[in-house]
Amino acid sequence: MVINIGDVVYPGDTINNVESLRGVTLFGPGLHRSDKPNKLQITRAGILSFKTPNVYWVESLQKRYVPKKGDLVVGVVSKKAGDVLKVDICSSELASLSTLAFEGATKKQRPDLQVGDCVYARLLSAHREMEPELVCVDSYYKAGKLGPLSVDGFLTTVSLNLVNRLLNIENPLLRTLGKKYVYEIAVGMNGRVWINARSTKDILAIVTALQAAEHQSDKTILEICRKY
Amino acid sequence: MDEKKNAKLSRAVLDMKFMKKTKERVLKEEENAEGQLMYSNEITEEMKAAGNTLFVETTLVYCKDLVEGRLSFGGMNPVIEKIMKEEYTKKLEDSDKAKEKDVSDIEMAKGYSTVVDTIGKKFHDKRNRYKKKFIKPSDD
Repeated sequence: MVINIGDVVYPGDTINNVESLRGVTLFGPGLHRSDKPNKLQITRAGILSFKTPNVYWVESLQKRYVPKKGDLVVGVVSKKAGDVLKVDICSSELASLSTLAFEGATKKQRPDLQVGDCVYARLLSAHREMEPELVCVDSYYKAGKLGPLSVDGFLTTVSLNLVNRLLNIENPLLRTLGKKYVYEIAVGMNGRVWINARSTKDILAIVTALQAAEHQSDKTILEICRKY
Repeated sequence: MDEKKNAKLSRAVLDMKFMKKTKERVLKEEENAEGQLMYSNEITEEMKAAGNTLFVETTLVYCKDLVEGRLSFGGMNPVIEKIMKEEYTKKLEDSDKAKEKDVSDIEMAKGYSTVVDTIGKKFHDKRNRYKKKFIKPSDD
């Protein structure tokens, strides 16, 4: 059976004719290298998607967060052990975050982080056999968007699917909320969302908006946002 | 001479004090031969199984072109908004531009070809438009 892009696929199916660019093919979640040459094996039920020239993935609803290298996540510090912080990022294992992996941090001058604080960090490494490793700096040792999140904010959890939809540039929800409220937000790929606004009322309004968006289609969200 | 080199020396001889260098050489040769045997098996197996396409795993962020989730609106966090200007605003403009172009290139080409057909009809005269072939009446 030939599988086309946009088909519903099931674990065990294989894609036989894989598009590649200069001999390289990228694959996202739901796929695995097949034992047979030049084939991809499907490991998750969903809709097969493709982005030109060479990226394949399976669009599916998933509840469990599996760390992936390069993901931006919102974590909660849950343990302090010497130079290393153990951070909960909703994965099966706590991630480690070195206190030296902050902008301007030295052995003597460490970031002031207590157990229970939130951080916005990037996954430096994520392997099945090892604990995930986080950093709060980029390759130039600059913090940029990363770093500790203020204690004034509010932390909530949304589904992974909603995170993917919110971060799509064509989804206007966050922008439209920005017209009405003055706020800042940190959306982690792990489903955690940290929100800070001028007043608690505003924060709760935004949280309610996100919860409402969970069960609405993209089309409905677009139509509602157009009114504002 | 070759025979002399290939001749295997017994362990007892190699253990002698003055045979130290030869012993090292013999051990090294043995190791090399063993290694080569092992790897040659490995390589052929791999080569049989592997295709010429390299598969690299990537995140969903790259697949779906997602934006980075640290955003600020209305001047809540000026630092973040400054960084956002470079990335988020640019992506937003790009997607808006893509939306403006509401007729895709392929659709345009298709539409244009039908226009060519209809205009082309204009230049046929009416007699030629409906070409009717003469059908020879049957004899019976």
